[in-house]
Amino acid sequence: MARTSTSRRESSGGRWRKTGRSPVATVLTYTVLGLLSVVFLVPFYIIVRNSMMNTDQVTSLNWSWLPSPATFSNYRDLFNDPSLPFGHALWNSLVIAVITAPVATMLGSMAGYALARIDVPFRGAITVFIVGTLMIPASVTFVPTFLVVDALGGVNTRWGIIAPGLFNAFSVVLFRSFYQRFPPDLEEAGRIDGLGYLGVYARIALPNSITMIASLGALSFIESWNAFLWPLVIGQDPSSWTAQIALSTFLTSQTINLPGLFAGAVVTIVPLALMFLVAQRFIVQGITASGLKD
Amino acid sequence: MGNNALSRRNFLAGTSVLFVAGVATACSSGSSSSSTAGSKVTLTQWYHAYGEKGTQQAVERYASEYTKANPDIAIKINWIAGDYETRLNSALLSSDAPDLFELGDFRAANVKSGRLAPLDDILAPVKSDYAKAALDTATVNGKVYGVKMMDDVMMLYYRKSILAKAGVTPPQTFPELVAAAKKLTTGNQKGLFIGSDGVGDIPYLLLWSNGGDLVDPSGKTVTFASPEGVAAIGGLKDLNSSGALLQGFTTDWFDPSALVQNATAMQWCGLWAMPDIKKKFGDDFGVIPWPKFGDAAAPAVRVGGWYHLVNAKGKNVEAAKKYVDWLWIQQTALQKDWCVSYGFHIPSRKSVAAQTTEFSSGPAQEAAGFSQQYGHSFPAVWNKTTTTAFIQAATKIAKGGDAAGELASAAKTCQIELDHQNA
Amino acid sequence: MPSATPTRRTASRPAGGAPPRRRANWRAIGAFALLTGPMVIGLGVFKYLAIGWSFLLSFNEARGTLTPGHWVGFDNYAFLLKDDSFRSSLWMIVGFTAFIVPVTFVLSLALAVGVNSVRRGRAFFRTTFLLPAAVSYVAASLIWKMALFNGLPSGIANALGGLFGMHVQPWLSSTDPPLYWFVIVTLRLWLQVGLYMILFLAGLQSIPPHLYEAAALDGAGRWKTFRSITFPLLRHTNAAILMLVFIAAFQAFDEFFNLFNTGQAGNASAPVRPPLVYLYDSALGDQNYGVGSAGAFILTALIVVVTLVQGRLAGFGRKD
Repeated sequence: MARTSTSRRESSGGRWRKTGRSPVATVLTYTVLGLLSVVFLVPFYIIVRNSMMNTDQVTSLNWSWLPSPATFSNYRDLFNDPSLPFGHALWNSLVIAVITAPVATMLGSMAGYALARIDVPFRGAITVFIVGTLMIPASVTFVPTFLVVDALGGVNTRWGIIAPGLFNAFSVVLFRSFYQRFPPDLEEAGRIDGLGYLGVYARIALPNSITMIASLGALSFIESWNAFLWPLVIGQDPSSWTAQIALSTFLTSQTINLPGLFAGAVVTIVPLALMFLVAQRFIVQGITASGLKD
Repeated sequence: MGNNALSRRNFLAGTSVLFVAGVATACSSGSSSSSTAGSKVTLTQWYHAYGEKGTQQAVERYASEYTKANPDIAIKINWIAGDYETRLNSALLSSDAPDLFELGDFRAANVKSGRLAPLDDILAPVKSDYAKAALDTATVNGKVYGVKMMDDVMMLYYRKSILAKAGVTPPQTFPELVAAAKKLTTGNQKGLFIGSDGVGDIPYLLLWSNGGDLVDPSGKTVTFASPEGVAAIGGLKDLNSSGALLQGFTTDWFDPSALVQNATAMQWCGLWAMPDIKKKFGDDFGVIPWPKFGDAAAPAVRVGGWYHLVNAKGKNVEAAKKYVDWLWIQQTALQKDWCVSYGFHIPSRKSVAAQTTEFSSGPAQEAAGFSQQYGHSFPAVWNKTTTTAFIQAATKIAKGGDAAGELASAAKTCQIELDHQNA
Repeated sequence: MPSATPTRRTASRPAGGAPPRRRANWRAIGAFALLTGPMVIGLGVFKYLAIGWSFLLSFNEARGTLTPGHWVGFDNYAFLLKDDSFRSSLWMIVGFTAFIVPVTFVLSLALAVGVNSVRRGRAFFRTTFLLPAAVSYVAASLIWKMALFNGLPSGIANALGGLFGMHVQPWLSSTDPPLYWFVIVTLRLWLQVGLYMILFLAGLQSIPPHLYEAAALDGAGRWKTFRSITFPLLRHTNAAILMLVFIAAFQAFDEFFNLFNTGQAGNASAPVRPPLVYLYDSALGDQNYGVGSAGAFILTALIVVVTLVQGRLAGFGRKD
């Protein structure tokens, strides 16, 4: 297993070289990607720059590349405001995302696999049932959902924030499309070894979809981390605020705390960036379906 | 939490959800409530998150003072950040509804859905102490449903020194305003800032400053498409084509940054911004109402502010009313503390406003005078639907659309909405 | 190419699922129920209960209440379809979708293929393009509005435009020409392209390398390899992503809401209002849940129809 996956990585890394790519094409690709990277990074530069400025500097008519003088007091204020439990809010966000991402991804993988690979008479109906939820805009069914969660006692609780986000048709659709392309001979091999449907899923399909699980897990983490409207309505008590809700307190109807907002944005982006770096390794190294075949 | 089955059944049967509320309250941990030990009744009170430092501590102090005097009643404060009305509206539908809450603009729809308790009995002794408009807005079918906490007046700030240098006197009429804005536009500094979109709240001010109004006094008929309205709102076109409007500034009109950064010589903004502007410019600024449109009409300012209300469907309506009576009627010292110790609001009670030194001189005093003399507020039937129809029409007019046509079609949309509300 | 064909066929034929053993049917149903059960129950409780409730409300006058009881038939639907501003929001969203879907799709696929083709710095590029996904719409909108596309001469867009002789523009309130589209589209692409790129990358990773080796032996160029191997083998990924991009475009809300938000007046002066902003104002602003729900179902109907038509046109719905 370890051996085959290494050999695959080498070959996939070098695949384009073998297709006879010219040095010109390589330079061109790097140039385009490099330029795009700059464009993609400029807004981050502005967020970080603004987070070290005061309101006067942020709204100034004159452009400045670097804050002068730079100040880190925005970050200090962020964590020292007694009426705004920002540290606690970050912790809440983290707990919520750490629970949501793996559970939601697993549920998506399970359902996606069944819809793609297990042939039962009512499969089409179940597919429509699940995929259909994507088509109905959530912002309008939002208030009834709130009442359902309220009736179950979920207001002001962490589970009330988490529960509805665990069932994500988005990941079912993507897992379904992934498993549809899954080589049938792999499953067949498992069956010959005496595995049942669940065994094939757990022992063969699941380990072979790490790329997909890492990708969708990362996306689910992002979604949960950045969720706003739902935690806003469910978490009425400051003890259940998430980081995004805490950030929104800087934007009231009459005053905007711009320095706090940008410093807060930096603080909420950093954990996600770290998470990407971890997920990266799995996305790169994911064992593809073909890896096992060799 | 073991009561889910019970709560679900209650919920589905549509019967009382008293019990669930208790459970939900018990579930929330680390809340900012005052001591509930030994209290028989706990009232939940909602405030939107005020931006000023110390406000949250202040309302909590008021609550604990009340509990000290009335040990039977504890008050749990919920300080609501973000989109206050969205959260409030959902919460009011749920089992965890607050007993007391504040609302920015009074909305008659809340009376119609049976959510608000009438407050005539506690208001009766002090009615004459409020501006008539503050009571009228909260009156539906002869009953008053809200106690005005404070007034936020919005007006035109200008820089004295810049006007003097350009030889411009503070404008008294709309044509003077346009001329002044043009004259004050030099280099990077524009003459006037009314909002990043070049529209802001000004359509309302134009309408009021030409003697028009949004709806008739009964709240049943839309009136803004009148000839006065068409003429005045058409003025937006002049402003937008003058080249003197600051547009696309980094912050919007309700933030004083544009004026503070010298991006504009005049800005439409609120009383709340006065401390910041004063800090930056000292005495080098003045305030005026929005100038009258023609010679026949009067200037106008908008008066916003917050009302305190009692949830009629709460468990302890009488206790909640008693608390409102205590805090917003009897405790004048606390009302004064609330309005001027943290932010900058005009107390709605004339007698309380008279006690403040903050409003006895300078631009603040003038502002308080504008609100008495020229103040207009949104009618209680004015909501998102009508706001959107009206402002969309005004935006099109600002960009060169036909004022009569746009306003007539917006009035039609608003009339349908009013008919629904009044049905 | 030939080795890929059987995979495709088995997977997409409805009756051609994995196990050939028919008598194992009950075990299949059991496994299917276990695997899909949690999702079906969860969606049932947290989505369908609310959807059913909303559907009922859409036939009621429900203001400030979620209790149906004032039946008005199709009045809410009729009101919306007669309302100019809702109708124009529907047209707007169709046009927006027709533009943004292909652009998002092609850009994210191109990024994925580009990132996948380089040997060094792959992790750097991948992280860079995905990083915007970590930024919330509120923060991103503020950056776009305040720093990149403000109306001041010092704003980045105006400074760049100045180099090419453009005048200073108030980007968001310019309607002639409608420069605000440029702000909306760049913001959306910046935030979303990385997400779809990651999904494409996951798809690309699972294409068996020996196919590329075979193509190389045949002397196929890059474009031909992409057309004959990469793209066809991404078929299911393509179909799934296309559908998601479609739905996301139709349900566009956040950038429109945040870019044009002016505080108390909300989005009233926005030059464009997609259906969800309209419905947000009705349902969550005015608590007019009847009209809000009816609008949601009109939009849903539009999404279903367009998704089906698009599926036909793109050939993804075709039986093999």
